[in-house]
Amino acid sequence: MQPTQNVLIPEVIQQIPLTYYIIISTALFVIGIIGVLTRRNAIIIFMSIELMLNAVNLLLIAFSSYRSDSSGQVFVFFIMAVAAAEVSVGLAIIVMIYRNTRSIDVGLLNKLKW
Amino acid sequence: MFPIVLLSVFGILLLFLGFLKSRAILLPAALLFLLVSLAVNFIDWNKTYLYFNGMLLSDNLSMVFTAIVLGSAFMVVALSGSFMEDESAQPAEYYGILLFSLVGALMMIGFENLIMLFVGVEILSVAMYVLTGSDKRNLRSNEAALKYFLMGAFTTGIMLFGMALLYGATGSFTLGGIRAYAVNPQVGLSLLFYVGLLMLLIGLLFKVSAAPFHFWTPDVYDGAPTLFTAFMSTVVKTAGFAALFRLLSISFSGVYTFWWTILAIITTLTLVAGNITAVYQNSFKRMMAYSSISHAGYLLIGLAALGQQTKQAIVFYSLAYSVATIAAFGVLLLVARQRNAETITSGGSSSESFDAFNGLARQNPLLGFAMAVSMLSLAGIPLTAGFWGKFYMFSTAVERGQIWLLVVAVLMSAVGIYYYFRVIIAMYFREGATAPIRVAPFYRYVLVVATLLTIGLGIAPGLLEGLF
Amino acid sequence: MNTSYLPSDYLPVLIQLLLALGFIVTTMIVTHSVGPKRKSQKKDDPFECGIPVQGDARTPISIKYFLIAILFVLFDVEVIFLYPWAVNFKGLGLTGFIEMILFMGLLLAGFYYVIRKGVLKWE
Repeated sequence: MQPTQNVLIPEVIQQIPLTYYIIISTALFVIGIIGVLTRRNAIIIFMSIELMLNAVNLLLIAFSSYRSDSSGQVFVFFIMAVAAAEVSVGLAIIVMIYRNTRSIDVGLLNKLKW
Repeated sequence: MFPIVLLSVFGILLLFLGFLKSRAILLPAALLFLLVSLAVNFIDWNKTYLYFNGMLLSDNLSMVFTAIVLGSAFMVVALSGSFMEDESAQPAEYYGILLFSLVGALMMIGFENLIMLFVGVEILSVAMYVLTGSDKRNLRSNEAALKYFLMGAFTTGIMLFGMALLYGATGSFTLGGIRAYAVNPQVGLSLLFYVGLLMLLIGLLFKVSAAPFHFWTPDVYDGAPTLFTAFMSTVVKTAGFAALFRLLSISFSGVYTFWWTILAIITTLTLVAGNITAVYQNSFKRMMAYSSISHAGYLLIGLAALGQQTKQAIVFYSLAYSVATIAAFGVLLLVARQRNAETITSGGSSSESFDAFNGLARQNPLLGFAMAVSMLSLAGIPLTAGFWGKFYMFSTAVERGQIWLLVVAVLMSAVGIYYYFRVIIAMYFREGATAPIRVAPFYRYVLVVATLLTIGLGIAPGLLEGLF
Repeated sequence: MNTSYLPSDYLPVLIQLLLALGFIVTTMIVTHSVGPKRKSQKKDDPFECGIPVQGDARTPISIKYFLIAILFVLFDVEVIFLYPWAVNFKGLGLTGFIEMILFMGLLLAGFYYVIRKGVLKWE
């Protein structure tokens, strides 16, 4: 996929094709997904989710600079701020569970079953 | 726009009101704040404005959705009186978080830019994670919160990746920009666009608990305190469908042929999974969770068969569903509390099972009647609002000629009648030792209003027509 | 600018990589084999200024540390909104200034709530 307005994009950025960025952020994202699906420790699952969010940030910034459009970078700011809020709520939930069960293994959480 | 600003300020005010000695002021204050927000919502009636540099749209449709969301929230808060008597409860924080979460819901209803959608979804979800886990000493509540949080954050990641890909393909986050790209592509739609659309849809479908992304719903609804379950199953669902409708009808109507099959398959899965599993439940609360999945399925019919009538069908259905659900959970709250008081001494069956309703109608005719009407409405029996909701939904499918979707939906609503009638049979025809339950006056008003609204809309469904 | 590179152009990168890896591996092996080895119970204990070791490292830590860490994350990240505003300060003018004051006001309201809740009291 070639950017349309070549004039605005600095040559330094153009040296690496956009596809590379898409591939690396997809790879990061998939690593995150695998982490979420295979790990049993709540904190590590949580870290994998953060990795997914950062893959998205990387992708947005790459698109943003290739299009010389700042709205992608604005979105990144919002993702970072919201992710921080999510982190604090998530860690609070994990601490709450640790205080009740002395463990953060998600396999131990089986009170709710269909 | 006015409700969003006001609710943010009111939420902070409520937090600070919590520092006062007396807790009695909190509930009236929260109700007053919600009423004021509901009133200012209609300032822009019949006008269409873009607010915040084109970030947020305010038109009649968004105002109607806002009214449904705020009305449901008002009823839920009105039911909270006795719940907050608990010493360990922190009502100021609960009400504050509820008001903040409504801000998120309203952003989802009126978003004009994907950034707004993301922020709205997150405000709503993060608030819900907290409320789900608000019963801190209860392991079930803890577990529900962690599950909801991990899965919710995971799908947020997927939804964001979808948004990023859409941005890469279209170069814009605005609904109009994406629409312009989808309707008139210069060199054909890129692969990024399709993948992005799918991932964005997955994220939103998770939030409205459509199958196969529904696995969190029963656990979370079951584990959360009942009051917040009522809030989640009405406000979150309505806001989610408003967002899905905006997204699909504005940005992606040009590529309808691409997504309608996928959505139709998901609809079928949701209807089947929700209704069939609900039959096997022994806990009323869990049954309501599966029932909410099945209702997500009915609402999805309107989207899979996107057309002229979809708007009206979704509005009517979400109103009918919200009112009936709140009444049902309201009765459950009272019954479960009564049962808990009894079982502490005797150690009987779970307070939220179907058995808890045995013989309810004899001693408590009002509670029995309210529950019966809401069950009839959820089952879609004529003369209730739920019937017309289903009727409108099914007619959208007929309009698009999607007969097989219609057949599945009709079959599944027949299954639905079975489990809704279990409650009615338990209440009216089973013997039970339910003592008369004391119902606070305000509580009674909510139940009466919900019942009247359900019957009123069932007799005169035309009341809502022409509103938007 | 030259946009197509031959594989041989990456040779310096490869050499650098090998050098870096080689240095690490060599030093690890050499220190391991050259250094004297004396093992005893005392040596394997974690160092604690001569005081006997008590319990293991996973003792419960006071919730206060956790709360302050969380609050730090929350208030720290909001600073990212100040950067674009500071860069465009002149362009945004008075409206931008008022908006930023509103934003900071909301944060301060949250901060006031934190103080009133007594989270920052360290007793």
